[in-house]
Amino acid sequence: MSTFESQVEVIDPIGLHARPASQIVKLVKDSGVTVLIGRVGENLVKANSPLMLMAMKVKTGETLAVSVESEDEAAAAALVAEIQELLRG
Amino acid sequence: MSQILTGLGVGLNAVVAEVFQVAAPKPLPAWAKSNAGVSAETESLKSAISSVASDLDSLAAKSDETSAEIFEALKYLLEDESLFDMAVVHLDEGWSAGAGYGMAVNEFAEMLAGDAAFEERIADLQDISKRVQASIAGIHMGLDLPSSGSFVIVGEDFSPADTAQFTPAVVGVITSKGGPTSHTAIICRSRSIPAVVSVTSATGIPAGTSVLVDPVGDRVVVGGTLADATKALTFTNTGRDPLVEVRANIGSLEDASAAAKTGAVGVGLFRTELLYLNESSQPSVERQRDLYASILAAAPAGPITVRTIDAGSDKPVPFLNMPEEENPALGVRGYRLIQDHRSFIEDQLKGLEAARLVTGREIWVMAPMISTVAEAAEFAALARRSGTFKVGVMVETPSIAALLPDLAGVVDFVSVGTNDLSQYLFAADRMNPSLGALLNPWQPGLIRTLERIASQAKEVGIYSSVCGESASDPAFAVLLAGLGFDSISSSRSQVDAVRAALSAVTREQAELLAQAVLSAKSAEDTKNAAVAALSAL
Repeated sequence: MSTFESQVEVIDPIGLHARPASQIVKLVKDSGVTVLIGRVGENLVKANSPLMLMAMKVKTGETLAVSVESEDEAAAAALVAEIQELLRG
Repeated sequence: MSQILTGLGVGLNAVVAEVFQVAAPKPLPAWAKSNAGVSAETESLKSAISSVASDLDSLAAKSDETSAEIFEALKYLLEDESLFDMAVVHLDEGWSAGAGYGMAVNEFAEMLAGDAAFEERIADLQDISKRVQASIAGIHMGLDLPSSGSFVIVGEDFSPADTAQFTPAVVGVITSKGGPTSHTAIICRSRSIPAVVSVTSATGIPAGTSVLVDPVGDRVVVGGTLADATKALTFTNTGRDPLVEVRANIGSLEDASAAAKTGAVGVGLFRTELLYLNESSQPSVERQRDLYASILAAAPAGPITVRTIDAGSDKPVPFLNMPEEENPALGVRGYRLIQDHRSFIEDQLKGLEAARLVTGREIWVMAPMISTVAEAAEFAALARRSGTFKVGVMVETPSIAALLPDLAGVVDFVSVGTNDLSQYLFAADRMNPSLGALLNPWQPGLIRTLERIASQAKEVGIYSSVCGESASDPAFAVLLAGLGFDSISSSRSQVDAVRAALSAVTREQAELLAQAVLSAKSAEDTKNAAVAALSAL
């Protein structure tokens, strides 16, 4: 299994709060692939729990690493782009 | 014989109906180790979660869109995978299902704590935790409100999940806790359900008793009839000018345009932070000029009083670094931001001056959260260097209220923010549902402080104004005029009602009312004195 690595920026003025966290988890679950998210250089968490995402207390303007376990690079890139959209607020 | 219970009224209409007491659910069992084994406890937790999930689904199906969203959000937390995994760790340690889930919720609550954005989610999590533990223990958690008939429902306070279950049979609401800005009060106001909150002994009224909910009178009358309801004061417009100028509170272009359609003379409080909360980087002076110019141009004719940024770690501005604080209301907020963000406040004043030149409007500027004369002097010097403004400060802290005479020659005007002044004077957190009664503007402690501010400002020749919520209450506005304030500023929806009240009284009548109010000893008596004086006109 290969991994697609990318980054997203939190633009939402309230940071990574409950709504985008739940939306990201729903998106990831629907996609059926494993996605890890976290601060660049820190331990990433599995994006299957809104609470774990919220507990990182990510603020507006922070950059996050996203790692998608998928063979299909185009689909993985599209998924990251959707995650970025959800972080616009 | 009727018994009278006092509280804080919400709404203008009274209602008579039978009391329906919402029973507090039975206490949850204490957390204990299990004898049943890990796999039995895991199954029990799984089935409790799915049973609570289906309860939430059926509640959502019965409610309107907004309420359905509340239940949807609760369900997301309930079914969180990491929360379940964490609970299973405790089951492996031998704890029972309810205990393990409760512990896992507490751990997440702790991780989310200290961040204002998550406070409501923590309350939601604890709500979920109670529901799951109750389901395991076989304790019933629903409100079970009647769906037909007419009832006044009584309880401690109602959460969003509770108010979402209000049926059409709920014609009145009484709570023993909660203030005028509690969730219950906001929901009742928006749905026009008569309510009285903060009625200490409410939970003692026997179910089935007929009560009068009398929000205008801030009271519940046990056994009362609609004929006993306090009439809302109405003032006929005399066509005279109001006793003091009535300005409007605004925070956006939309507010400014709406205020211009009222009788407001200028703006007494322009809250500027709304303009910055959605900006990801500090806007340039030019951009600020354009933002301000459009709002100044739309605002009602007369001077426009602009409050410089009033943000803090509980309402952070994205591009200013505002570290979390233990106690944001007592932290680095308002003018105190100058410690780290001087250039931002300077740019704000420059942007305003540029907008003044473009629009030709008269601008007054004032700083919030001032507590020493030195801060007032520093702000005044900064503002006068930046533009042609009348310069003032907000009076919100008890310390600056005590120093009014020393502001002579330092500022041109003061404006009292009664919401924050109450919070700091009474040491009562505006967000705490148990302290609503202390934040009642009719508290003698607040009114006598206002009297001193108005009379000392007059003695030393400083123009004085009030811009807190209290100034939107017509009766309170007459009191403020009687105490000697030079103008008041009301929320735009109340400007015309306040103007009508202030044009119905003479200066002498307002001063007599103020004297009567000043001699009263409780929040009930001050308000009664004002209402009696106005009814006698």
